[in-house]
Formats: sequence, structure tokens, C-alpha cells
Amino acid sequence: MVEYNLDRFCILLVEDSAFIRSLLLNTLQLMGVGIVKTCDDGAQAIDFLKLVQNDPMKAGVQQVDIIISNWSMSPVDGMMLLRWVRRHKESPDRFIPFVMISGYSEPERVHEAREMGINEFLTKPFTMAAVYQKVLSIIDRPRQFVHTANYFGPDRRRQAVPHKGAERRVLTDKSPEVEVVRG
Amino acid sequence: MAEAKPKIRVRFYRFQNRLKERAGGAGHKGTGEIPAEILAKAQAALEEMAEDYPDWVMRLIKELTEQHRRCVDTPERRRAFFEQIHAIAHDMKGQGGTFGYPLVSAFAESLYDFTHGRASLTDNHVEIIKAHVDGIRVVITQRISGDGGEAGQALLAGLQEAIRKYKSKA
Repeated sequence: MVEYNLDRFCILLVEDSAFIRSLLLNTLQLMGVGIVKTCDDGAQAIDFLKLVQNDPMKAGVQQVDIIISNWSMSPVDGMMLLRWVRRHKESPDRFIPFVMISGYSEPERVHEAREMGINEFLTKPFTMAAVYQKVLSIIDRPRQFVHTANYFGPDRRRQAVPHKGAERRVLTDKSPEVEVVRG
Repeated sequence: MAEAKPKIRVRFYRFQNRLKERAGGAGHKGTGEIPAEILAKAQAALEEMAEDYPDWVMRLIKELTEQHRRCVDTPERRRAFFEQIHAIAHDMKGQGGTFGYPLVSAFAESLYDFTHGRASLTDNHVEIIKAHVDGIRVVITQRISGDGGEAGQALLAGLQEAIRKYKSKA
């Protein structure tokens, strides 16, 4: 197994609690992440992402590789940030991997975040091992993005596991209604 | 006449995994890991920060105490104070466990459940809130980390007893 070097990675960390922000910043830096930019809430993060797009020199980074964001923040929370990143025309990269951190662990909350297009969900309180696993999962197990009339985000099926309900995926790569974009 | 092309209903985007190449070097295909000594350093940093956690969280406990006092002094505004407590409890339940105080998370989670938007506003309900705040304060002032052993179990039992007692009166 290869030892990863995250020196050329830029992670945007969005967390309103100074204590947790500082903990995550330290952790990511110790994990070897080259650049970690921090913001206090979603509004700051959106401004920063726009700056990266419009003036990378001033932003100090060429691109953001992963966003790690808390959910519950004010005035702009993590879900609003995620919606902006995935759907807004000014978003610099609608495919950017997004890890949502949250004290909300109720299944309907996790479902809501999944439907908005998160890549990973990190439940608070978290462990260092969990942070590490989420970052590794983004690097090692990326998913194709799916765009339909009512969803845009990483494929919500991580594995081809059989399920009991009706098969709702009736289209395949070969169907004329499907377009596969490679890059 | 040529048949009209069906409208595209689904797009799949499959991109080359550039993050993997950047982390593991050009051409790297398999999985990877972050060196163990780096993770050990991250864990050590967390433990160091955990030493500061009780001091830091004490500010939130003082804020909870203040909000509880306001619930007692100004009963007609309880709903607004409950909202404040609910928000603080949400933060606390997400933090305690990370810093080695799962009991803070457990108490805060219960407090969070007792201060939702439709929670009762009776005096007895305010007593239940006080029992939670008192419990969290004991966990922190006595540095009851982990599950707290017998002391931790006694605290949780005390909270359950207070909830039972005041709920029966409510």
C-alpha cells in the first residue's frame, strides 16, 4: 500500500466553533495537508470560493480540493453552502468533494444531506480515525456524479448490493436518454 | 424524416481521479494510507487539546446556567430561552465525545431533546433542564472522562431519577 502525501492538497474547512475549527485545522495539517483554509460560516466560504475563482493569486490557492463543513452555523449553514457549491452558476467547481460534519445524527438529517449531494457525513462527536477515513474515502473511492431532473451529486449507490424494492434505475449507459461525460 | 433524438434524462460524469494521482503519485491505482507516525502525531495533538476542553466548555456551562436562571426569572419568555439552550446543547453534544467526555455528549443530547420547539414550558420542565445543567457541570468540574465508571453511572441514574420525578408532576 502506498503512503499518501497530501502536501499538494488544499482543504477548505468551515466551522463556527473556534475550538473544533482549531482541532480540525491541527489535525489536517498534521496529516500533511499542504494548505488548509478556514472560514467561520457558509457565507465566508462562498466569498472565499468566489475569490479562488476570480483571483487565485489573492486567494493564495489555485483550487480547493475538498470542502469539510459543519452543518449548523449562522447565518449561512453547511446545507446552504453545499446547495450553492452543487447548484449555483457562480460555483467554481460543482463536483468538489464535500464532507458534512454534524451533531445531527438522525437518519432523516443524513438523508437530507445525501439528497443535496454530500460525499461523506462525519458525525459529531468524531474521532481522529473517522476524519482520516473520510479523507481517504474521498481519495480512494470517488463516485461518478449523477445529474437527473431532481438530483445532482455523487452517485448515492456506493456499492452494487441487491435490494428488495423495485429497480428504479431503468436506464443504462447505452440508453439514448443517457449521456456519459468523461474527463 | 429522421426520428427525433430522445431528450437526455440522465448524465453520468466520470472523471479521472486526480486526487489519487496527486496523493499517491502519477499512475497510482490501488488504495493508500497516511503514514502511521503522522496519525499518531494527530492523535497526540487531539489529546493535548482535550486538556483545554474543560476550561473552554465551562463558558458554555455558565451560559446554560444563565439561560436557566432567566427561565426561572422570566417565565413568559421561556420559549426563547429554551431555543438558546437547545442551540448550546447541540454544540455540546457534538464536542464532548471527541475530547474524551462522552458523558457531556450524553447529557447534552438529552438536554437537546428536552428543549425542542414543542417542549413543555412548565416549572417542572425547567427543573428537568436544571438537572441536566447540574449534571454537565459535575462531569466537567470533577473531570469525569470516559464513561466515568461508577461515578458516571450514578450521575446518569440521578438524571433519570430527576426526569422521572418532575415528569410525573408535570
